[in-house]
Amino acid sequence: MSDDAIRDAPPRRRLSLGGASGQIGLLAIVIGFWVVFSSLAPGFLSTFNLFNLGRSLAVDIVIGFSQMVVLATGGMNLAVGSIGVCAVMFTGFLLQDLGLPIPAAMALALVLGTLLGWLNGMAIVKTGVNSFIITLASASLYLGAMLILTKAVPYSELPAAVGAFGRLKIGTFLSPLLVIAIVIGAALFVLYRFSTLGRQILAAGANPRAAAMSGVPVDRVIVFSHGLSGFLAACAGLMLVARLGAAVPSVGGEEWLLPSFLGPVLGGTLLSGGVVAVVGTMIGAALVTTIRSGLLVLQIGNFWLQLFLGLILLFAVFVDRYRSVYAERRSTRQR
Amino acid sequence: MTNAFVRALACGTVLAGIAVAGAASASDNKIALIPGGPHPYFAPWEQAAADAAKDFGIATVDFKVPTDWKLALQTELLESLAAQGYNAFGIFPADPVGINSTVAELASAGIPSAALAGCTQDPSDVSFCLGTDVYNSAYLGTKALIEAMGGKGNIVHLAGLLVDPNTTLRVKAVETAVAETNGAVTLLQTVADTDAQEAADQKINALLGAQKDEIDGMIATGYIPSVVASKSLRTLGDKRIKFIGIDDDPIVLEAIKDGFVAGTMAQNPYGQGYIGAYVMDLMASGGCTVKDDAPWVKTPQTAKFIDSGTLVINQANLDTYKDDLKKITADIQGKFKDTYLNCQ
Amino acid sequence: MLRRLLLVEWSGLLAAIVLGSIALTFLAPNFLTEFNIYVMLRSFCVALLVGFAQMVTLGVGQMNISVGALGGLVAISLGGMLEVLGFPLVLAVPLAILIGALGGLINGVLTVRTGINGFIITLATASAFTGINLGITESIPFYNMPATLVAFGEQRFYAFPYLLIAPLIVAAVLGVFFARTVPGRQLLAFGGNPTAARLSGISSERVIVLAHVLSGTLAAIAAVLAVAQLGSAQPTIGTDWLLLSFAAPIIGGAALTGGYISVLGTMFAVVLIALIENGMVLAKVDPYWVQFLLGALILTAVWLNRWRAVRTGTD
Repeated sequence: MSDDAIRDAPPRRRLSLGGASGQIGLLAIVIGFWVVFSSLAPGFLSTFNLFNLGRSLAVDIVIGFSQMVVLATGGMNLAVGSIGVCAVMFTGFLLQDLGLPIPAAMALALVLGTLLGWLNGMAIVKTGVNSFIITLASASLYLGAMLILTKAVPYSELPAAVGAFGRLKIGTFLSPLLVIAIVIGAALFVLYRFSTLGRQILAAGANPRAAAMSGVPVDRVIVFSHGLSGFLAACAGLMLVARLGAAVPSVGGEEWLLPSFLGPVLGGTLLSGGVVAVVGTMIGAALVTTIRSGLLVLQIGNFWLQLFLGLILLFAVFVDRYRSVYAERRSTRQR
Repeated sequence: MTNAFVRALACGTVLAGIAVAGAASASDNKIALIPGGPHPYFAPWEQAAADAAKDFGIATVDFKVPTDWKLALQTELLESLAAQGYNAFGIFPADPVGINSTVAELASAGIPSAALAGCTQDPSDVSFCLGTDVYNSAYLGTKALIEAMGGKGNIVHLAGLLVDPNTTLRVKAVETAVAETNGAVTLLQTVADTDAQEAADQKINALLGAQKDEIDGMIATGYIPSVVASKSLRTLGDKRIKFIGIDDDPIVLEAIKDGFVAGTMAQNPYGQGYIGAYVMDLMASGGCTVKDDAPWVKTPQTAKFIDSGTLVINQANLDTYKDDLKKITADIQGKFKDTYLNCQ
Repeated sequence: MLRRLLLVEWSGLLAAIVLGSIALTFLAPNFLTEFNIYVMLRSFCVALLVGFAQMVTLGVGQMNISVGALGGLVAISLGGMLEVLGFPLVLAVPLAILIGALGGLINGVLTVRTGINGFIITLATASAFTGINLGITESIPFYNMPATLVAFGEQRFYAFPYLLIAPLIVAAVLGVFFARTVPGRQLLAFGGNPTAARLSGISSERVIVLAHVLSGTLAAIAAVLAVAQLGSAQPTIGTDWLLLSFAAPIIGGAALTGGYISVLGTMFAVVLIALIENGMVLAKVDPYWVQFLLGALILTAVWLNRWRAVRTGTD
C-alpha cells in the first residue's frame, strides 16, 4: 500500500452496527419531519404520495447499501452508478433483443453486476492501488463499454410484466420494491452481525494489518465486498428497470454517487471503515427522501429548494449530534 | 435575464389580444409546466405560464423546475405536484423513454400530460408533443450550414450528452444531410458530451486548435456548444469557418450580428409554454380529447407531433425573427382546438 | 525514504505524460502547434485550482464536497457584482474570493463546532450553496462581463495563456506553505496523526478551519478564472468539479486519509488528464469510445506509476 501514513487508533474499535441509540435518534428526527409535513400539507400522506415516496426511497436505499458494503472495508466504490447502468442496459438487451424470460434476464444482470464489482476488487487487491482510483477509472471503463455496445439507444419495448411490477401496490400504498429493499437490508444485517464473514469484513476495514495478523484473509474479504457492491448496484438497476418499464442509458452513472454516500454516512457508517449501519443507511436515505418530498409537496422554493434542502439537512444532523452528545453525558453521569 | 424577460413580455402582450377572443370560460384547473432541469432555454416559460393563466382564465399555471437535470428529480416533482392536486402537466422530458412510466401513471389517475419542447419516445401516454423536431431541426441546420459553405467542404458536429437518445437522433440527422451531398461535404468528426460549459470550452478549443485550417463548417445541436463555439470563433477572429448553432442565446445573436456565426436554429420556447398551457387547460376540464385523425406530423420519436416552429436566424432576419415566432405561436394557438381536439 | 517515494510519484506521471505526448505528436500532426499548446495550457488552469482546493482539505484528513457548489456561487456572485451592481473589477474580484473564503469558513467552523464529519457538513452546505446560486440566477447566466476580464481569459504570450499566471503563483505559494511555514506543516502533521499533533500542542480546531478556508479561497479563485475563461458568469460553473477535485490530488499521490499531499503530483495529474482529453479530440476518437478510453488511459497511467513505485521500493 502506498498509504503508509500511520493512522492513529481510535479510542474504541466498535465492530458494531453503528450504535442502536444513534439510529433511534435519527428515526425520531425522520418521524418528526413526517408529523410536520403531514400537518402542513394534506397531500403528503395521500396514498399516491406515500406509494411514490416509498418507491424512490427503495432505490436510494439499495444504492446506499451498494456503497456501504465497500465503506465497511475502508474503501470506496465510485463505479456504483456505472455498474448499475450496465446492469440496466444488459437487462434491456436480454429481454428485448434476445427475448429471454424475465427471471433469467434478471439473474444474468445480477451476475454481470457481481462480476464487474469482482473485477474492481481483484484490480485493487492485485495492484495495491487505492480503491478510489481503481473505481474512478473503472466507472469510466464500464460506462464507456456500455456506450460502445449499446450506442446509448434505450430499450423501450420490454415485456409489460416488468413495468407492471413497478406499478404494483401491496395493499393501498406499499411498493414491492420497498419490501425488496428491506429484505436486502435484513440479509445484510444478518451478514454483518451474525456471520464470521461479516465480522471479518469489519475487522479488515477497521485495521487491515491487525486483521491480517489475526488470520483474516483481508484480500479475499475486499474482493468479496466489491463483488457484493456490484451485485447490489445491479439490484438497484433492476429496480429502476421495473420502475421505468424500460432500460434507459441516462440513469445511474455519476447521478448515483451522492445518494450512495448520503444514506450510509448519515446513518452512521464510517468513511474510514470498520463500522457499518445497515438500519442507519435505510433511515438516512429516508431522511433525505422525506425532506425533499416534503419540500416539494409544500411547494417551498422552486429555484430556492436546494437551499432549504441543505439547511434542513444541516439542522437534522445538528439535532442528531446534540441529542447523542446529551445522551452520552447522561450515561457517563449515571455511571 | 432581463433580456429574456422583456422578450417574453413583448410576446405576451401581442398574444393577449388574439387570445381574449378564445378565453370564453374561466377554469379552476391547476396546470404545471415542468422543464427537465434548470436551463436558460426555459426562462420564457415562466412568462408564458403567467400570460396563459391571465389570457385564458386558468386558476393556476405554474412554472416548476426540478433542481437538477435528473430523471428521478423530475418524476419526484411531478408526483408531488399531482399529490397536491395539479391536474395537467406540460413536460420537457428529462429522458424521452424514462419519463413514460410516470406519464402513464398520471394518465391512469386521470391527469393528462403533453410533451413540450422535446418529445417522448412512442409508445407513450402523452397526449401530443409540441416542440422542435430534434431530427428535422438538426437536418435543416446542417442543410443551412452546407448552403453557407457553398455546398462543399469539411464539417464537424458538436453534439450533446451521449446518453441522451435525442443526441443519437441528431447525430443521424447530420450524417444523413452530409450523405445527401454525395461526397461534396465530409463529416470530419463528431464531438459529443459538450453539454457542460467547461467541458465544451475545452473540447471545442482543442478541436479548433488542432484542425482549424481543415474545418470549413461546424454545426452545434446543443445550447451550450452553440454558445461556446460562438465565443471561440470570435476569439479566434475567424470568419472563414461557417457555423450554425441552435437557440437564441445573446452570445450567439451578438456573434451573428458581427459576422462570426452564419446562423442559428431558433426554437419557440415561449410559444411551447403558452400553447401548452392553453391546450392542457382544455384537456384537464375533461371536455376535450386529441383527435386521432388530425394532421399530426410523424417523427422518428412520435406519431403525434406538432411543430412549434423552427427557423434559421441569420443576419437578414436578426431583428425580425421574434415577430415571425409570435406569428407562428398565434397561428398554432388559434387553430389548435379545431384542428387537433375533439371537444364536447 | 519518503523523499524518494515522492520523487517517484512525479516521475511515474511524468513518464506517462512524455509517452503520451510523443504518441500524440505522431498521431496528430497539429499537436505541437503553438495554438494547440495554448489551448491545452488554458484548459488546465481551472482544473489545477480545483484539484488544489480539494488537496488542502485532504491534507488534514477532511473532505470538501462543496468545492463545485461554492465555485458556482462565487462565479455568479462575481457576475452579479459586475453586471447588476456595477462594481469595478478591482473591487468585485477580491470580494468574490472573500465570499469563497467565507463559505470555507462556514464549512470549517460548522465542522469543528459540531464535531460532525466534514463530509456530511460540506454535503449539506453544497446543497445550500447551489440553492442560493439557482435562486439568484434562476439558471440564467450573467452575460456582460468587463472586457478586461474577458481579455485576460483569452490573451496569450505565444503559447502561454495569461490565465496560467494565477495557478502557477498559487502552486508556488502552496508549495512554500506546506514545506516551509509553520501552519502548513501543522496542517499536514495533524492530517497524518491527529492525536500526536494534538499532544504536541497543535490546535485541531484551528488547522481544520484553516484548511477549509484555504479550500474555499482556492475554489473561489478557480471560479473567477472560469468566468474569465468562459467570458460569462454561468450558473453551471462547478457542477463537474467534484470528481476531478478528488481525482487530481489522489492520482498525484495524496492519501485520502490525510497527512500526505503533493503539489507537483497534483499538477502532473491535471496535466495528464488534460492531455488525455485533448488527445482524444485530436485523434478524432469515436465519441462512443471516449469514456472507455479515458478510463483505460487513467488506469494505464496509474498502473505505470504503481509499477515504478514498486520497482524502486524493492530496490
